[in-house]
Amino acid sequence: MAHPLEPRLATYIAGRLPEASGVTVSNLERISGGASRETYRFLLSRIEGGQTRTRKLILRRDPPASLIDTERRVEFEAYRAFHGSAVPVPEMLWLEEGSDALGHPFFIAEEITGFQAGPAALFAGATEAVLARVAERKWSILGDIATADPAPLAATLPTPALDECWRRELDHWAGLIDRDADQPLPITEAAIRWLRANPPPPAQRLSIVHGDYRTGNFLFDADGDIHGVLDWEMAHLGDPLEDLGWSLQPVWTFGRQGLAGGLCPSARAVAIWERASGLHADPAALLWWTLFNCVKGQGIWVGSAAAFTSGGNRAPIMIYPAWWLINAQERAMLQVMGRL
Amino acid sequence: MTPPVPAVLAELAALAIRSAAPGIPDGERANALGLTASLLAIAAETWDAAAHHLVEENQAIRALTGEVGRDENLRLTALQAENNRLREALITLQTRAESDGDEALQTRIWAELIISTDRRRLSTAPV
Repeated sequence: MAHPLEPRLATYIAGRLPEASGVTVSNLERISGGASRETYRFLLSRIEGGQTRTRKLILRRDPPASLIDTERRVEFEAYRAFHGSAVPVPEMLWLEEGSDALGHPFFIAEEITGFQAGPAALFAGATEAVLARVAERKWSILGDIATADPAPLAATLPTPALDECWRRELDHWAGLIDRDADQPLPITEAAIRWLRANPPPPAQRLSIVHGDYRTGNFLFDADGDIHGVLDWEMAHLGDPLEDLGWSLQPVWTFGRQGLAGGLCPSARAVAIWERASGLHADPAALLWWTLFNCVKGQGIWVGSAAAFTSGGNRAPIMIYPAWWLINAQERAMLQVMGRL
Repeated sequence: MTPPVPAVLAELAALAIRSAAPGIPDGERANALGLTASLLAIAAETWDAAAHHLVEENQAIRALTGEVGRDENLRLTALQAENNRLREALITLQTRAESDGDEALQTRIWAELIISTDRRRLSTAPV
């Protein structure tokens, strides 16, 4: 049975391809995950120049309420900023910010096929040599992101002063926790107090910050190479150490204690990033950003619980991070603060 | 836990019924059932000790804040409401201990906070 979105999607795309005829959408299916956007893959067929052409594409549509509230234009433009660069990303095709076509805003992009993203697949089957290769590529690419020209995104995103990057992010996430947490979080509150009392130095430069750069958000192959960096919905401009701190925060070890991203020791990850970016990761500043990212994570997890409880989004994907990670995130804070 | 277990179980029951209907794409059905299984496993793991942990923690916090009292109503909703009240009081106490430089009290509070994360820790948790 055809998915009910298929004919509506075909109509929309036909309007974007006036030179094509016979536009059809088939095999549309929702991909697992996608807590901040509903993500579907589908096959586009059309006739161009007398020939039938097909292409595998991705639809990312806003849900009724999201785990992460962001503008889809930010994500779209972030992908576009890196397309064709050393940072592998899928090609963005169309952005629709209205709700008439598919009920909610969405964008359509190329599907990068033949690779996996899931941490479970990575850790279950890969050899240590492959994990080392993934680590090398992961933090090298992050170094490339850190040193990319932020100008293409400056029209879409706020550009904080170098000494205000930390405060802007901390105010934002602490505010979301205040708004969304339905149970007191003493460890998170203590971490926020510490972060405010011990701010980091100004950013070395203003960088594009991916915002969710972790194992699970890139496509890898069996040899450990990375073919696509995904999930740019939290992209913004800020301190390059922010992304590094997110990649090092303990919940992303996936239980492989002592291994950043479940892949390699933190010192190795930092060394790869420093070599690739030419930037310095001051240990005290990096500790601040790692602890901040624990607070940010908590903001996301309590936000997902709030979206479920308010009735805005009753999908089980909104429950799982809250149940699985709120306490783990507090333990991660204890670990980063040297108390666990 | 938040969202509360009863609300989640009710939602999962509805999802299971929807997933059993004909015409649901295989990928979506597998995704829904996989997540449902993971959530049921967490609920099962936390069920037996939930009341015990809340009573234990409420008592530990009362010892820190100097409150006298005990939990009379053992419904989970009542215990959780009291736990929320006490943890809010603990945040106030810890903030004051920090501004007063009361190292001994801070040490006692941190010890309880560490134990509190042990109580809540899931077997599958990454930390």
